[in-house]
Amino acid sequence: MKIGTLSDVQKIKQKALQELFPKKIKLSVGLGSCGIAAGADAVYDALKKEVKKKKLDIQIAKTGCLGFCGEEPMVNLYKPGFPLLVLHRVTEKDVGNIVQVLAEGDIPQKKVFCKIEHVDNFVDSEELQFGKKLKNVPHSHDIPFYQKQKKIVLRDCGLIDPENIEEFIAVGGYSSLLKVLKNLSPEEVIKIVKKSGLRGRGGAGFPTGIKWEVARNNPGDKKYVICNADEGDPGAYMNRNEMESDPHMLIEGMIIGGYAIGADEGIIYARTEYPLAIERVNGALEEAKKYGLLGKNICNSTFDFDITIVCGAGAFVCGEETALIASIEGYSGRPRPRPPFPAQKGLNGKPTVINNVETWCTIPVVMAKGPKWFSQVGTEGSKGTKVFSLVGTVKNVGLVEVPMGITLKEIIYDIGGGGIQGRKVKAIQTGGPSGGCIPTALFDLPVDYEGLQKSGSIMGSGGMVVMDERTCMVDITKYFLSFTEEESCGKCIPCRRGLEYMRNILEDITEGKGKMSQIDELVEIASVVKQASLCGLGQTAPNPVLSTIQYFRNEYEAHIRDHKCPAGVCKPLIKYFIEEETCTGCHVCVRACPTGAVLGEKKKAHTIDLDKCIKCGACFDACKFDAVRVE
Amino acid sequence: MFEIAINGKKYKVEAGETLLPVLLREGFDIPYLCFHHAVSPYGSCRLCIVDVAAGAKKGVTPSCTLPVAEGLQVETDTPEVIRIRKILLELYLAEAPGSTKIQQLAKKYGVESSRFSKMDITIKGDRCVLCGLCARVCSEVLGVGAINFSGRGVKTSINTPWYDVSSSCIGCGACAYVCPADAIDIITEGDERVMKTWHNTSLKLKECAASLEFFATEKGLDFINKLLTDFPDELKAKSPESRKIEFAKDFSLLPKKT
Repeated sequence: MKIGTLSDVQKIKQKALQELFPKKIKLSVGLGSCGIAAGADAVYDALKKEVKKKKLDIQIAKTGCLGFCGEEPMVNLYKPGFPLLVLHRVTEKDVGNIVQVLAEGDIPQKKVFCKIEHVDNFVDSEELQFGKKLKNVPHSHDIPFYQKQKKIVLRDCGLIDPENIEEFIAVGGYSSLLKVLKNLSPEEVIKIVKKSGLRGRGGAGFPTGIKWEVARNNPGDKKYVICNADEGDPGAYMNRNEMESDPHMLIEGMIIGGYAIGADEGIIYARTEYPLAIERVNGALEEAKKYGLLGKNICNSTFDFDITIVCGAGAFVCGEETALIASIEGYSGRPRPRPPFPAQKGLNGKPTVINNVETWCTIPVVMAKGPKWFSQVGTEGSKGTKVFSLVGTVKNVGLVEVPMGITLKEIIYDIGGGGIQGRKVKAIQTGGPSGGCIPTALFDLPVDYEGLQKSGSIMGSGGMVVMDERTCMVDITKYFLSFTEEESCGKCIPCRRGLEYMRNILEDITEGKGKMSQIDELVEIASVVKQASLCGLGQTAPNPVLSTIQYFRNEYEAHIRDHKCPAGVCKPLIKYFIEEETCTGCHVCVRACPTGAVLGEKKKAHTIDLDKCIKCGACFDACKFDAVRVE
Repeated sequence: MFEIAINGKKYKVEAGETLLPVLLREGFDIPYLCFHHAVSPYGSCRLCIVDVAAGAKKGVTPSCTLPVAEGLQVETDTPEVIRIRKILLELYLAEAPGSTKIQQLAKKYGVESSRFSKMDITIKGDRCVLCGLCARVCSEVLGVGAINFSGRGVKTSINTPWYDVSSSCIGCGACAYVCPADAIDIITEGDERVMKTWHNTSLKLKECAASLEFFATEKGLDFINKLLTDFPDELKAKSPESRKIEFAKDFSLLPKKT
């Protein structure tokens, strides 16, 4: 089964397509971490059991994540002649009915979310085509969540079984690698990547082609490529999905990169907290070896290359490239001064290209479509697409891949569906704990590296947390600072002690003990930490402080001067009360209260005893008449 | 050899140098803690910062890790550099309130008190500034590595494995010698050298064959004597002071340069 030529790949592809979309009904259950968390494991087991019990010729398979986490568990229904149907919110209880309906020759309409009639995987010249029936079912590209997306990196996620290399090949996988090995020199590969304008997707956005060129030009017979899979930003899980749903695209990208710079060894540094991703990547590496895509003389070429996985051990700072390298070398993950940069002197002092998972995953498409095509997607300074994790107080939660240059407004309202429960969106936090909070006034911003930087935030790895009037900007800043303070390696004093000091001030403010002079002091210390810290963790940790003071200073002032938390979050500064005119006396809040602080007779306006109230918010959540208020 | 500009004037440098040694040799007054010519640049203390006006990356940068390059222009005392330096020294005053050296350093640059005084410094003690010189000398120069950074963030300290008596320490005292903050305590108790800071790791001392005074630890002498291949055994058994007396008597005893 060893692959030696492009025609070997084509042969496997033809055969595998017949199995990916067979001549029978096939149900593929979305088994990414989010799907599993929503109960997809149980759905998968139940489907297998039911189909066996009813002795039906229906194939039950695994697939990855289609990105719409809010609609999980999702199951793809393939029926020959029909468009690919996406079922949503499938529970164990639905399984019996679904199988029954299918056995009767029908479609379980109630569970259908949308249909897919064609898929462009960007590496094949032709799109995958499905049947064109069921006019009343919306097409996936008419669903607001999917409409403005352009799935280049996520091209195969949710369509193929991540544990089957042949399905990856069926959708064009490894064709780019073969074309590179047979037709291009390493220098030509680097030229293409440079021309494409691809910038690193890990957060810093350094031009990938230039990084590869520096590594290629640094002398030496031993070089490395590393994949930074230490995705540590809270709320960011793009890389997790990329590895769980399509591990082979990462491998293909790394082999091409290794070939380009002259490395014979690749290392994937993956955070231990991603066990499923590690399992799937490990499995994919084994398969790649079996098919002759890794090891000695890959695909009958003179190129040797192998990949191993090294696991992290719970340190956010190990996502910083020099700390990551130190960790692989067996030292504590503490950053080292740059220069020298890893491309000059990296792992074990050798030239090393270290790129994020998403950057590697983009490479096969860049090679297949060419630099001109790629540079036509996105903006002048930021080419291509970016995967974002859209989370927080937004209706449609999940992973979205959009062309650079789309506005925040489009992401939040068109794709995200706006605020939850009809509440007004107040801000969006981008770039994780290194990023800033952007207010609604700036939502017309095009999302790209420069645009986000101008607003006082950063692209980062792609986290996008939507916030509304119930998010306290001071509290959220305190949260981010507590995170970076905890994760600081401690090597340099501005980060080690500066973050601690700032977090203490924020605690004072959220507890009503703040002073107005402390707002300016936060800015003063923030600028020292930003400029004097040794690595990116310290240099960017003050960003949440600086951006919230810039755009939401009024909230800081309210906490300090008025002893109030406008969002109703900071417990020492809020009190719950019941609005007399609105209260119907339905007594639901009385039952919800854990301390007996709510008093009142049925059908008469209730009151809250502030001495007993612990501000848990149970009455607030329970009241259906909006009579319980916070101030 | 080429020239770079420091505070508007040109200075000669060699390719491969870093900026701080250049600044020091040209007489510029730059504070630092973690720099030492015997070990590789580390860049942890951040005190040697300067402002790069023209170069690969503009802005505030530590000079100990900045390689000199054609076209480099730096300013050593811009208002921003001075402001940041002072706040860093304020931080160090609170990080090491028990160190007179740090107090002197702070006072020299105009910092008398610190707003950061509520720091919890129980794990690392009240003198250590976490510059890492002791650990780096122990690893890089001695090749022993008995002590190193431990813990993370504010819980960082320089320590021995399991914060306990060290089995690899040779009692050479190089750590205390390079410490810029006088934070490492070593005393003699009877016939032992006690590394108090390293959890009272105790090592037997050796007497000089000539003066009969304790001059080094047995472990330390075993270690160093393995490296002194062309050195007479009778001299190995004597303290440096006693050897000087011997050399003064007979220059032929001096080890020959190879």
